[in-house]
Amino acid sequence: MEAVEQFIYAGELTPLRDRMIAELADVNTLCATYRSRIYRYALLSLRDPDLAETVTQDCFLRAYKAREDFRGDCSVATWLTRIATNLIRDSTRSRKFQFWKAASSTADEVGAMADRLRSPGLSPETFLMIREELRGVWDAVENLPGKQRSVFLLRFVEEMELPEIATAMGLHVGTVKSHLHRALAAVRKAMERTR
Amino acid sequence: MKTNHLSPWEQEEYVLNQRTPEMLRHLTECAGCRAAVARLEHGVAIFRSAAVEWSSECLATRPPQRHASVAKGFPVLTLRWAVAAVLPVLLLIFALVSFHPSSTRPVQPASDISDDALLEQVDQQLSVDVPSSMESLTNLVPTENRNGSVGATTSAPASKHIVQTN
Repeated sequence: MEAVEQFIYAGELTPLRDRMIAELADVNTLCATYRSRIYRYALLSLRDPDLAETVTQDCFLRAYKAREDFRGDCSVATWLTRIATNLIRDSTRSRKFQFWKAASSTADEVGAMADRLRSPGLSPETFLMIREELRGVWDAVENLPGKQRSVFLLRFVEEMELPEIATAMGLHVGTVKSHLHRALAAVRKAMERTR
Repeated sequence: MKTNHLSPWEQEEYVLNQRTPEMLRHLTECAGCRAAVARLEHGVAIFRSAAVEWSSECLATRPPQRHASVAKGFPVLTLRWAVAAVLPVLLLIFALVSFHPSSTRPVQPASDISDDALLEQVDQQLSVDVPSSMESLTNLVPTENRNGSVGATTSAPASKHIVQTN
């Protein structure tokens, strides 16, 4: 009975899966469609533009090489996110010795990013307040544990739904929700400190 | 009806779009909870704006990715293996050719030959009393040439000088 269900399930998925594999085989279109998204996720996770570029390229290469293994049970974007998550985790483990570099450059990053948010209508006081809030959130996100940070980025930057995040991270939806609550609590505390 | 303020958990649930009618009703009535939720949403929003902006700028400064080798299925790995396989064979052939016994037989160096020939040429030129180019001058001074001792003493340095300048 279970085998029959699997057969039916697989039969329903096949045309969709074929379309997705065809999408994965066209690397140029794939990159054009998803590069900015994967790069952004890697950049915000690693805070290193060069490493983020490497992870992005590796992600597409792996997806291309493993396209026949793609089961088609999630979207291509989710599958790419899952590959990127694994690559980011590996990179984070191998670059712990570079932590000092990332920590020392945080202040500059926040200052530069706050400048980008400056608009002509903002008063200097409001701008300073926003800058301090951003610094608090930025530091809080950076100091989150790996999974919490990934979940936070996927939800609030990539605007993925919880089940999608669960698939991409290989977690249960409940666990994703729990990570998000903890991440938001950390952000809230950081913002309270900047008051 | 819920009269208590929203707990931090409920505020987070609201930000996560897990909103209940009770929550929404309370927020319409409570300015404090509304401000707390708005503050949390604002923090997340400015983070997102800054992050997207930063990522876009970083991406704009990078050249577009080229995956031609992947797209065309270019066998880079196969090519590397082929080079790795052929290179030792070529080195072996080169080594065999270079150190073959027939190629190491003693051969008189070319420099020796040229040195011998040069010395022989010098001897020939020194042995000539008057070089061929100066034979016409000897006709101008017949008396000195007839006196053997004088002619010998004067002609020898002259010939040496000619050999040296040649």
